Amino acid sequence: MKGKLESSERERLVEEGKNLKESLVTLEEDLVKLKDELQHVAQSIPNMTHPDVPVGGEDSSAIRKEVGCPREFNFPIKDHLQLGKDLDLIDFDSAAEVSGSKFFYLKNEAVLLEMALLNWTLSQVMKKGYTPLTTPEIVRSSIVEKCGFQPRGDNTQVYSIDGTDQCLIGTAEIPLGGIHMDSILLESALPLKYIAFSHCFRTEAGAAGAATKGLYRVHQFSKAEMFVICRPEDSEFFHHELIQIEEDLFTSLGLHFKTLDMATADLGAPAYRKFDIEAWMPGFGRFGEISSASNCTDYQSRRLGIRYRPSEPLQTGPKKGKANLPATKFVHTLNATACAVPRMMVCLLENYQQEDGSVVIPEPLRPFMGGIELIKPKLK
Amino acid sequence: MSLHKLRLAAAVPVTISTFSSRLFLKPFPNTLTLGLFSRRLQPRKPLLVRAFSASAAVQDIPATQTSESSARPQWKASIDFKWIRDNKEAVEINIKNRNSNANLDAVLELYENMLNLQKEVERLREERNNVAKKMKGKLESSERERLVEEGKNLKESLVTLEEDLVKLKDELQHVAQSIPNMTHPDVPVGGEDSSAIRKEVGCPREFNFPIKDHLQLGKDLDLIDFDSAAEVSGSKFFYLKNEAVLLEMALLNWTLSQVMKKGYTPLTTPEIVRSSIVEKCGFQPRGDNTQVYSIDGTDQCLIGTAEIPLGGIHMDSILLESALPLKYIAFSHCFRTEAGAAGAATKGLYRVHQFSKAEMFVICRPEDSEFFHHELIQIEEDLFTSLGLHFKTLDMATADLGAPAYRKFDIEAWMPGFGRFGEISSASNCTDYQSRRLGIRYRPSEPLQTGPKKGKANLPATKFVHTLNATACAVPRMMVCLLENYQQEDGSVVIPEPLRPFMGGIELIKPKLK
Repeated sequence: MKGKLESSERERLVEEGKNLKESLVTLEEDLVKLKDELQHVAQSIPNMTHPDVPVGGEDSSAIRKEVGCPREFNFPIKDHLQLGKDLDLIDFDSAAEVSGSKFFYLKNEAVLLEMALLNWTLSQVMKKGYTPLTTPEIVRSSIVEKCGFQPRGDNTQVYSIDGTDQCLIGTAEIPLGGIHMDSILLESALPLKYIAFSHCFRTEAGAAGAATKGLYRVHQFSKAEMFVICRPEDSEFFHHELIQIEEDLFTSLGLHFKTLDMATADLGAPAYRKFDIEAWMPGFGRFGEISSASNCTDYQSRRLGIRYRPSEPLQTGPKKGKANLPATKFVHTLNATACAVPRMMVCLLENYQQEDGSVVIPEPLRPFMGGIELIKPKLK
Repeated sequence: MSLHKLRLAAAVPVTISTFSSRLFLKPFPNTLTLGLFSRRLQPRKPLLVRAFSASAAVQDIPATQTSESSARPQWKASIDFKWIRDNKEAVEINIKNRNSNANLDAVLELYENMLNLQKEVERLREERNNVAKKMKGKLESSERERLVEEGKNLKESLVTLEEDLVKLKDELQHVAQSIPNMTHPDVPVGGEDSSAIRKEVGCPREFNFPIKDHLQLGKDLDLIDFDSAAEVSGSKFFYLKNEAVLLEMALLNWTLSQVMKKGYTPLTTPEIVRSSIVEKCGFQPRGDNTQVYSIDGTDQCLIGTAEIPLGGIHMDSILLESALPLKYIAFSHCFRTEAGAAGAATKGLYRVHQFSKAEMFVICRPEDSEFFHHELIQIEEDLFTSLGLHFKTLDMATADLGAPAYRKFDIEAWMPGFGRFGEISSASNCTDYQSRRLGIRYRPSEPLQTGPKKGKANLPATKFVHTLNATACAVPRMMVCLLENYQQEDGSVVIPEPLRPFMGGIELIKPKLK
């Protein structure tokens, strides 16, 4: 229409232009809707799976390692709830009135034990080059979603704050993932390795059955979480580093545990591979999960927008500019529990109880508790 | 187990050998400031931190649900109406001095009406009983009919009056619960300028180089990250990094060991509580400009201070006198909306939505609360003196007291980055204000009469306990003080001596090589 035209030709073109424009508007709207729909449906496709992961349900999970053996008791043992009462360490009753079920107060030596666990864990993991952090425990719900959780589904594990788009975190993995979201990191900055302390809040909606007793399943707890951001080719290495750190920690504390390579039906959507550690809990007479280490490859980073720019330029030459920079790639992220305090307490109280009702403190923790070696029954 | 053993044992927290020194060569940024709770609604001078919205005394909404709701209140404070009536002049003066919105005249009027209505109800009940008695005897049928009719009328009148009485009692309760606590006679009357300085320790450090505030130190020493937190959570949230994490843990560990030596029992508490507990402690979970975060879909809230779950431990209980005093030091994270907090006093760590705090809480006999108020402030002063801070202890004036506080001592420490003092702790004697709402009583030990008979009638009457609360360590504000006061010209920050054993022996936070 920019050229010289007869008026009838011009009219025809104008008409054609109008029709095209209307069709375009409609189609573009459809395209947006279609893209949204595609995105919505595709985002529920889970991560791919490591070839070595056993296929099947929880009975198919493979034991990678087993450390120690169940302690033999020559006296009738108590579970951690009874020990908590008898040694005046845990108060569930007052908490039930103040807050509801699955809340608790820790008292006396249990407070020192929690602090010793966290302090000791921090010192051990820092030696491996992890940067200590504390994190916000209130986050925007979009961050929760980008990490692969469902803040607003039925039976959601996530507490929401009234009148806001904010939620309480269920794990420090969430605010850790958020630190570098929508960023391009230099390859030389990788790996980033964090150990973060936070309180964690979980609704535990839908969790029923025997595995809810006492400290085993609670709404609020302290946790030290490891988080790694690395190049794709390094994530397998760091997954093994993380599980090794966990196994070393729990071995140092004298626990009897097994490391499981979780089967496909037991992986969360983000996890390419997941190693869980289950420790022997004599009061329950069974193993209970005390930690989990996941390699999420690029599942979270594609949602959080965490990329890195590889160091070597693709071409050398005088020209500098975006065109000469290597294309960015998505990082891989991993997360692993260094210490989940209530479950650790179940293990320590139940495994280290003595016939006279006292509980021995494992040696590595004693310097972090002012040297206390024993939790003794209190005189009434 | 006696706590004495614990306190001796708690002296050595972290062995130096366990820390890798390589990681501690990086200096830390500035410290953090914390907002402390105050129950007032009035905006305050920025650095005088009163994080909590006012107690019921300032707002027109009493601690129970508002009267618009037809639902009955979930709980009732045990208010001594007779005492209020018999001391109404003193109560009125107190309300005025505190700038409270409480309506004493309404309370007195409702109380009179309630008493009269109660008498009427009793009178009618007695008449109905008489009628019932008469009807047991032998009567002529016309007489019987008349009495039946009378009985019916009385019953209907009674039902109506009894309903009215319930409504009147609820109304009376609702209005009376906003009457603030009485005030200690030594408390200065007036606004914040009238607060009296009880003690001043130290003096402002003189710097011979240009100083940084804690935000700058936090950036330069890679200790605090506000920017990522703003994306992840919003403003007034932060991550602590590197030595700042160790410093927080050292502060809490050291504070715990110091306070345990004074016989305080360590606790950790739930941080989600039922909203009724928040109200019973004298806070307003659901008012405008509330400081309280509520959980969607529940009647639960996040705590703004461990005082709340601590008050709740013994609610609706009768304690033995021999169990008193109960002395707790509790650690928790605290969450505050900081709605309505404006002005310069929001910078950096000074006012944040989430922070760690160690809180002391005492439950004692009424005659002992003054003693424990002094014990608590002494503990705080000793802690802050040990850390080398320059601070002053204030006896807060009447208009600055929250509704629950009979007397309140605040400590304000010198913050060179701000160039002014900022509140780092608060110690309140709430006498029986909270215990009347939480239902915490004790039974005195000596029996009133000796004798072979045992039974409830022979036990001394229960009394309400007194409760007190005091901040042992509010981590962000302590960090502001430590970072800003202990900075050096080369950009490093010195760690105060008492904290070093609790940080693996670190003496200095140094700038990190880039």
